[in-house]
Amino acid sequence: MAAGWPSTVASNPHSLRVDAVSGPIIRLENVHFQYEREGDAPIQALRGVDLAIQPGEYVVILGHNGSGKSTLAKHLNALLLPTQGDVWVNGWNTRDPDRVRDVRVTVGMVFQSPDNQIVATVVEEDVAFGPENMGLPHGEIVRRVDWALEQVKMSAYRYRPPHRLSGGQKQRVAIAGMLAMRPKVLVLDESTAMLDPIGRQDILDIAHRLNRKEGVTVVAITHFMEEAVDADRLIVMAEGRIQLQGTPREVFRQVDRLRELHMDAPPITRLALALNQLHPHFPGDLLTVEEFVRAMQRHARAAAPPLFSPNGHPPPAGEKVIQYDRVGRYYMRGTPLEVKAIEGVTMHVQRGEILGIIGHTGSGKSTIIQHANALLRPHEGRVTVFGQDTRDKGVDVREIRRRVGMAFQQPEIQLFERYVGDDVAFGPRNLGLSREEVRERVREAMEAMGLDFEAFKDRMTFSLSGGEMRRVALAGILALKPEVLVLDEPTAGLDPHGQEQLLAKILSWRAKGATLVMVSHNMENLAELADRLYVAARGSIIMDGSPADIFSQVEALQSEGLNAPVVTLVMQALAEKGLLPPEATRIYTVDEAASLLGGLL
Amino acid sequence: MEDFELLRNVTIGQYIPTGSIIHRLDPRSKILAAVFLILAISFTSSILANFIIMLAILFIAKLAHIPFSYLLRGFLLGLPVLIFIFVTQFLFMGRLEPAGYIFFEWGWFRITQRGLYIMALSGLRLISFVFLTSLITMTSTTTELTHGVEHLLRPFRRIGVPSHELALIMMIALRFVPTLAEEMENIMKAQASRGADIGGQRMWRPDKAAKAFLPLIVPLFLNAFRRAEELVYAMEARSYVGGEGRTHFIQLQSRTVDYMVILAAFLMMLAMFLLPWPPLFANLKSFFSP
Repeated sequence: MAAGWPSTVASNPHSLRVDAVSGPIIRLENVHFQYEREGDAPIQALRGVDLAIQPGEYVVILGHNGSGKSTLAKHLNALLLPTQGDVWVNGWNTRDPDRVRDVRVTVGMVFQSPDNQIVATVVEEDVAFGPENMGLPHGEIVRRVDWALEQVKMSAYRYRPPHRLSGGQKQRVAIAGMLAMRPKVLVLDESTAMLDPIGRQDILDIAHRLNRKEGVTVVAITHFMEEAVDADRLIVMAEGRIQLQGTPREVFRQVDRLRELHMDAPPITRLALALNQLHPHFPGDLLTVEEFVRAMQRHARAAAPPLFSPNGHPPPAGEKVIQYDRVGRYYMRGTPLEVKAIEGVTMHVQRGEILGIIGHTGSGKSTIIQHANALLRPHEGRVTVFGQDTRDKGVDVREIRRRVGMAFQQPEIQLFERYVGDDVAFGPRNLGLSREEVRERVREAMEAMGLDFEAFKDRMTFSLSGGEMRRVALAGILALKPEVLVLDEPTAGLDPHGQEQLLAKILSWRAKGATLVMVSHNMENLAELADRLYVAARGSIIMDGSPADIFSQVEALQSEGLNAPVVTLVMQALAEKGLLPPEATRIYTVDEAASLLGGLL
Repeated sequence: MEDFELLRNVTIGQYIPTGSIIHRLDPRSKILAAVFLILAISFTSSILANFIIMLAILFIAKLAHIPFSYLLRGFLLGLPVLIFIFVTQFLFMGRLEPAGYIFFEWGWFRITQRGLYIMALSGLRLISFVFLTSLITMTSTTTELTHGVEHLLRPFRRIGVPSHELALIMMIALRFVPTLAEEMENIMKAQASRGADIGGQRMWRPDKAAKAFLPLIVPLFLNAFRRAEELVYAMEARSYVGGEGRTHFIQLQSRTVDYMVILAAFLMMLAMFLLPWPPLFANLKSFFSP
């Protein structure tokens, strides 16, 4: 990656930029911002933010949903102007209308949704959109497009239409589109929130490389703690203000303060802090697997650990309610674009278990689960749901869909009624229940999701927060009283606090004996919940077993672009150093690891 | 609705990269040639001439290596509309244009030779239109098309035709067709999972069918508006301020073959316009006469 910035062409009027001599590239002074709302009190999104970002810095801004972090981001390139206070970019006030174009060329911004920032129908033309707007000559645009695509490793996809790319690839295109404008600052506004682990890692690697090799200043806004570990500076926002600031180590050490702000430290730091509480001489501010292993090597007294019995919920041997037998299905069948989406999938769901299905985007996991309630029917093989073959002519599809509830990724897109109560009632009404029964079901479902019936039933659906909308959508499925509940990435896009609340709900259903199928690429979530796991890759099921069985096969998971939970990685590294026996890789939760390692110190 | 794969049936707007000679033509010449052909179709009211144009279109499809079955699939999607037009013409043309031989008459209902003729003609024309437009979108990327349109309209900028804006609107619309189709698919699946009976309504209860569509349309529109809002931010962030002062990444180039294609289509139009084509049916009058 030795390629430098492409040379500027003198004929471009915008290349005659006045560079600030020194000092911060972005400076915010007492910035306030309020959203006006029609017929309602305005929302104070920012309440006095002072911030200076130095050239070449890598700054991460953390905050829960509604903390004001995205509003702050939009001030950095004059998409929003402060209602009070000033923002200076490269010495220009963002209020100066003559400088707006300069500001936006200086500060490139990549947004959250991969789909909603691509303008053109071909990758390379989308990358060219910015330079075209800048009025650069043709040869220069071509050079910049080539260079930018090379930077994000998307040159091979330059003629692809964007809808045939994965989310991570689309975000790389969006970054290239910004790079082609040669910004000094790259702002990533939750750009990784909707991506799977591979996509997210790609984006982070690119951002770090641009920061180190090309000297691009990076401001990353996120609610993933792990993404903050490598930053130069970490800023935690809440209530429109900066609450904590410092190096990641300094900030994550204050785990109690973070929890107050609805944030949490990354799992490694949590593990280190748990050990620190047991043994105060063990450092509590560790951020990476390597640091943790080094600390253990320094502090472990005994090399031979006490015997332990590997964990795990005993897999319940319930009745097989859903069975897949060598299921195959094509996508775009009968067209020149036909591809086989899944092949030879054999699996089952048992009554009373929490079944996890792991796989990244394009592994076929979504296609697999849509066979569970007969949304899709197999082109090959057979799916049996409660003893009924879904391909049978006489099968009652609606009855199957009632018994097998299905919540899609971001289920809030299904909301359509003006009032929350009506939306939750949509399913029960479709069942043709009486008014009283519908009401009772809506009440039960809403309370199961932690939404107070009286308080929420007459609220306007679309005025709710993202997390509340998610819960309303899930209540809409619970109201059908399904016997099996299939959840596709239930926590994706929620902030840590929202995730925690939702997982707690799911755990409480398990206690009531519900049968759950959870599709996720979030290993930490599955580690906490699942009794049994399947791993999907390339349209097939490639591994199955208990979480301990699967997570301990770290290499096999990594070769599929997946990863084990961080705790497993720590255990594996310690086992390699001879501090733990190899079976220790069967441990994957923070609590178990803390109690085992505590005995070593 | 048995299958939720919406994109499978949308052939208009889907690029089929076979790399044929038709694919490599300058989009401007493809658009111009198509315009001439459409004019040719509209000019002539001879069924024979329309057959010839249809054959020419199928020949182009052959040259482009587009399977006929795939061409037909897009046409089948429009079949209900076609049937509707057929039926209305069948029912009313006999009264409106009472010329020609009358095959059958009952009250105000009248089937005339002229009526049948117009029905067959409009059917052929419509099929040609659909085939031609799908062929263009199957052999040109959407960007080629938008740039083609922009270039062709550029001379009219002076008289206030916003060529760049039109092209951008077209590009964004085409860009979001697959995205929104996928979203619609997801919404349909989600509502079906909540017991919605999608597409299960009876045809004679359009009120119920319309009501059943609300759970699909409302979220689709809300999401489309949200997308539009975010797209505006994204475009502004890339310092888009309109067409003034923009330069172009894509440079279109015409070769000899492009001019030949335009000329061929133009000649075809002239031929349709000027030559005395037999109306076909008129000559076969005896065929229908008892």
